[in-house]
Amino acid sequence: MSGIGLLKCRGCGHHWQFRRAACPACAAVDPEPVEATGGGTVWSVTTVHRAPLPEWDVPGGYAIALVAMDEGARIMCRADRDAAIGQRVTVELVEGLPHARGT
Amino acid sequence: MAFLTGVAVTAFGRHPGKGPIDLMEEAALAAIADAGLPRDAVDGVVSGYATTYPHLMMGTVVCERLGLAPAHAHEARCGGATGAMAIVLARHLIAAGACRHVLVVGGENRLTGQSRDDAVKTLAGVGHPEHEVPLGASIPAYYALLAARYLHETGATEAELAELAVLMRRHAGAHPGAQLNKPITVDDVMTSKPIATPLKFLDCCPISDGAAAIIVSAEPSPHAALRIAGWGEAHTHQHVSEIPDDLGLGAKIAAGQAFERAGRRPGDMRLLGLYDSFTPTLAIFLEALGFAPTGGAGPAAREGRFGRDGALPLNLHGGLLSYGHSGVAGFLAHVVEVVRQMRGEAGDRQMRDAPLAYLHADGGVLSSHVGLVLERAA
Repeated sequence: MSGIGLLKCRGCGHHWQFRRAACPACAAVDPEPVEATGGGTVWSVTTVHRAPLPEWDVPGGYAIALVAMDEGARIMCRADRDAAIGQRVTVELVEGLPHARGT
Repeated sequence: MAFLTGVAVTAFGRHPGKGPIDLMEEAALAAIADAGLPRDAVDGVVSGYATTYPHLMMGTVVCERLGLAPAHAHEARCGGATGAMAIVLARHLIAAGACRHVLVVGGENRLTGQSRDDAVKTLAGVGHPEHEVPLGASIPAYYALLAARYLHETGATEAELAELAVLMRRHAGAHPGAQLNKPITVDDVMTSKPIATPLKFLDCCPISDGAAAIIVSAEPSPHAALRIAGWGEAHTHQHVSEIPDDLGLGAKIAAGQAFERAGRRPGDMRLLGLYDSFTPTLAIFLEALGFAPTGGAGPAAREGRFGRDGALPLNLHGGLLSYGHSGVAGFLAHVVEVVRQMRGEAGDRQMRDAPLAYLHADGGVLSSHVGLVLERAA
């Protein structure tokens, strides 16, 4: 599995990532922690050439993507630099950070 | 009924040796004078925050400096939308009968007074601490994600976005207070250093020292009766990970409320003051609000639609992209310019008559929105 944690509403089935006690869609409480399958589609992607801290800078930059997971949640990930919007990806934890790779 | 009766903005750029309260004091005193009011007529204060001086009670700090003991004072915080939000709050204080003349003020020494540690702390507060900041995302990166999505959805090009930066620079060239006034071309924007693709250096606003202030009153000023005819807000998300699929949704909600309250349509507007932290911010607003066709903001700018003599002048002081961005004062400078244009006091920058104007700001990553319709009574 992906190691990517999501929350699933026991009422309406909505999935999301951020910590919350109630479903943002229907307000039902007590969501179920689930693990994402890892499959998703790139919603947007950027290559960061100027990191927030100089020590994070990588020659040629590093890619950050927003990925629409197949469950419906959108999450932020590191990504391969050739990632493109609409591309199918698999997201899994790499050194503790979610990383999207083309499938 | 609430009216904008006094305005002032300092030059933006470097003000070495001046702190946020020094700069806010300068703008506040000038705005009170512009309104033709004695100081003690000001009975309400809504201040902004300052990243260079993160005080818990900035509203009271400002009052103490100015020698004011108002009926109401507080500090508003809503990122880039704070100035617009403070004007809406001032309108509500007046409508409630709590105040008659409210000072709205923002300013800071964001350029010369900020250490890197402070910048990092500010950044950490905007991204999600668990799911965004650890990935190495920066504020430009959040907007770059929106820019990439915007280009994908609309078919617009990076060169078309660049037209908006060129336009803001051209406008700034006519304002002596602007931080950046050297003319630039689309090619200059396209070849400026990459920050976070597709954003280049010249797609991003600078940071500045400066301040601006507005007086909101229960009655019109002798200059002109500029009424807050409509206002609206939207708060759709905080973090970019949770932005609605429709990038323009928050802007549409806030603007829809503002136009409905004013009894006006977007097509009635003759002047715009839109938040322009990055070129895509401006493009998304122009298109979501119906001031340009989908994907058409850049071409419309190139064709002159948003110039001083165009159909719908936009940010005639140069906007955040070229007048500069000094935190809460950044958007208040848009308000100052719109008021001066509507009064016919903009000198060399003066456009033809503008009895109706629309103002819009966002805070966060298109997270919080405030829209305002200003109308000049005959």
